[in-house]
Amino acid sequence: MVTNEWNIVIVEELIFVLIVLPFLAAICSYLIRSGAVRSFIVLATGSLMAASALLLIPRVPFAFSPKALFGVGVHDIILAADFFLLFLILYFGFKHHSLVIKILALFQIVLMAYLEFFLIRDDAAFLTIYCDNLTLIMVLIISIVGSIICVQAIPYMKNHEEHLDLKKSRQHRFFFVMILFLGAMNGLVLSNDMVFFYFFFEVTTLCSFLLIAHDGTETAIKNAVRALWMNSLGGAAFIVALVLIYKEMGALDMQRIVHTSPAAGLCLLALALLCFAAFTKAAQFPFQGWLLGAMVAPTPVSALLHSSTMVKVGVYLVLRLAPAMNGTFLSQCVALFGGFTFLAAAALAVGQSNGKKVLAYSTISNLGLIFACAGLNTPEAVTAAILLIIFHAVIKALLFLCVGTIEQHIESRDIEDMRGLYAQMPLTALITVMGVIMMIMPPFGILLGKWMAMEAAARNLYVIIMLAVGSALPVMYWARWAGTLMSDPFAGRFRPERQPLLTWGALASLCAAGGILSIASPWLYSRMIIPALNGNYVPPYTVHVGILENSFGVFPVLPLCLVAALGFVISIWAVRRAARARIIAPYLSGLQTAEPGVFRGPMNRLVKAEARNYYLSSIFGEERLTTWINLGAAVLLTLLVGGAL
Amino acid sequence: MINTCALILAGLVAAPLVGGLVNGLDRILTARFQARVGPPVVQPFYDVVKLLGKEKTVVNVWQAFCAYCYLAATAISVVLFFLQSDLLLILFIQAVGAVFLVIGALSSTSPYSQVGAQRELLQILSYEPLLVLVTVGIYLETGSFKIGQVYAWNEPLLLKLPFLFVVLGYALTIKLRKSPFDLSTSHHGHQELVKGLLTDYSGPFLALTEIGHWFEVVLILGLCSLFWATSWIGMIIIVATTYFLEIVIDNVSARMTWRWMLGYVWAMGLTLSVVNLVWLYVE
Repeated sequence: MVTNEWNIVIVEELIFVLIVLPFLAAICSYLIRSGAVRSFIVLATGSLMAASALLLIPRVPFAFSPKALFGVGVHDIILAADFFLLFLILYFGFKHHSLVIKILALFQIVLMAYLEFFLIRDDAAFLTIYCDNLTLIMVLIISIVGSIICVQAIPYMKNHEEHLDLKKSRQHRFFFVMILFLGAMNGLVLSNDMVFFYFFFEVTTLCSFLLIAHDGTETAIKNAVRALWMNSLGGAAFIVALVLIYKEMGALDMQRIVHTSPAAGLCLLALALLCFAAFTKAAQFPFQGWLLGAMVAPTPVSALLHSSTMVKVGVYLVLRLAPAMNGTFLSQCVALFGGFTFLAAAALAVGQSNGKKVLAYSTISNLGLIFACAGLNTPEAVTAAILLIIFHAVIKALLFLCVGTIEQHIESRDIEDMRGLYAQMPLTALITVMGVIMMIMPPFGILLGKWMAMEAAARNLYVIIMLAVGSALPVMYWARWAGTLMSDPFAGRFRPERQPLLTWGALASLCAAGGILSIASPWLYSRMIIPALNGNYVPPYTVHVGILENSFGVFPVLPLCLVAALGFVISIWAVRRAARARIIAPYLSGLQTAEPGVFRGPMNRLVKAEARNYYLSSIFGEERLTTWINLGAAVLLTLLVGGAL
Repeated sequence: MINTCALILAGLVAAPLVGGLVNGLDRILTARFQARVGPPVVQPFYDVVKLLGKEKTVVNVWQAFCAYCYLAATAISVVLFFLQSDLLLILFIQAVGAVFLVIGALSSTSPYSQVGAQRELLQILSYEPLLVLVTVGIYLETGSFKIGQVYAWNEPLLLKLPFLFVVLGYALTIKLRKSPFDLSTSHHGHQELVKGLLTDYSGPFLALTEIGHWFEVVLILGLCSLFWATSWIGMIIIVATTYFLEIVIDNVSARMTWRWMLGYVWAMGLTLSVVNLVWLYVE
């Protein structure tokens, strides 16, 4: 714990930069409608947040309760803002004629009033801010990856609005919500008082609604409304859980819940409801609809929702509560549900040729795996979950930004239209392929996490079968995509295409981060993840010269990285030599012509040879699977909540 | 340290030699089944040397990259097997090789390469889950994923994992692309698929994929040997019998479609795995 008073002052300042500054910066970028000033605000806020998050590293763990902000009690601010927020959601319910949203908002207003004015005693005060290594990891992801995405959004939105031919720029609104989102996320992960947590939880719901609706088209509004009601459902479950927890324990203190592990009676039901809320945020089946619909928004929004914010709220919440659920039926249900989602979403991804949809299903699938790990609740599994959160955030952000860049260039997000993209956009195509490789191949971080998860799940028959089948499916859709990008008639010399500097900066930094963090993963494990286990779990692996080992498994991270790097260098050397080799036309089983892909067929006619990827929609198509998967997920959810009763 | 270096060297040098010889034996046996004499046992080496000496030609420079990566990944997986590392990790690394081979094929626009690559992905999809479940079974019995501890187990695994051994058989037949699972490419380059996956790999790069394939054969034989690791004789018998059966099956069956493969292998493989795993859990 931080004892030094000077240190406490610094920590308070850093927390101010991480939570309050984004709110202020958001308001500034809304009010000052000049592109240059806005870009400056985004860059400055992003850098400040990233720097503050890094400065926080040597100062954890710490906990404190700020009394007042600008002379007003913090608790009063949150309370007022919370009611304002709920009434705002109610307003959107009326505006878009959605009965579900109206009912859910009213329900939350009533329960919130009941909780605040009748239940919680006036003198009650819970520890407001608590930061351990798990929180710190989240803060780092949000502040660094989130900021990079916002920075890339500057050139993206400029292009986007030029393309839409807007008379009046709406970027001030866009960046207002984006920056606000980051502040809310930091607030959420740092909150220990669950009323604060709930407030930020609702802010992220509203932010994602506003961002999805940003383009204002009919589909955008429809999908945004769907996101709002699905997430309001989670919010409603959350507030019911709060009431139950307060009635049972007399406190709304996250750490107290974790440490007393009150996994019985009403508290268990409350934990189940919190898991339910987490599943809606993380777009697990049957709530996948809102995340799939979110792809109508500009791509930086998808990148933000999928990688560092929103969906990560769900996994963070469950991972935070995991020690309290240890050994319960609820925990097993979460593992089962996560495993099911992992498999089902991967199957649906195989059937998609829409690049963004593949990414979306892959996100749902990976989050399912993280939930499965949290549910398995062994030290290995929790370590895997934290690793997966880190690497998924970095690499999914990278892939979304790549698809966004590609989409603005070729005006399509269909994988078939990206055939031979290497000829047009060599560097972006290569970075995308790197991202794909980091998704599916060792020694990169995601595979390290998958390896841990599978070895941890081996003692659970149902989960391991789903993980075994589900881990083969991603190979199919990622390898197919990577190969399609490189599929081209030989394009001659390598010339990177022109892109704004900020775009290159964002792509390169995320790509490099994925690689460097993978190499550093043994260090990441011993320096960041062991402290994040908080003494709730025994550190599962020993680290010896970059080799992670426990009693039943071993993953030589550093040696493998070195060998892989050597193999990579040799292969690149082979490419350079092959560039001098004779380039021949692909075999077409006919007389070749000068035009690529065309051969002289029967009757001396020219025939164009074409091939497309297998998407197997008769097996993995959405129409075929979605109903059954939703049904299965609903059954598991019923089991999860019902079992807690 | 010297021991480790010796094992790495054995993995890098001895393994492809053994793999090549096994390939030669395979060709002789197959020839005998078809009432031919067949080539000499070292023919695979002649072939590879000849291919290595040919002019370098590529359809797309990234094919060279993929061929090298395929070879590297298969070699690393065999070396890790010799170093008695983690089984699950070895499976992941051999999958890297398989994926690079596919990406290399996809980097050509030839429909034969493309279709072959798609079918290879389906083959990976068919056998990967089965291989994972086999390692899970081995872990449940021996309590470890580390090959060293599996070899040290005092009872032949086949007695406790008979169904999983059959599952391994399915997986290996697909991995080796033997009939009825020679969907993505086959030894006979004159069918509807031409050479499928390998159509546009040529010259020295085709040679690299061939050497990579030898590494894979050794890895597969190694996986089989885990099932009777208590004695050298048992190990040799189980490996020889399994491979002989693979050759017989290759010769008596015809190529099937990918739909049949995916349905049949998943249904049979998953059922057998579950039966065997439940048995282990109950114990």
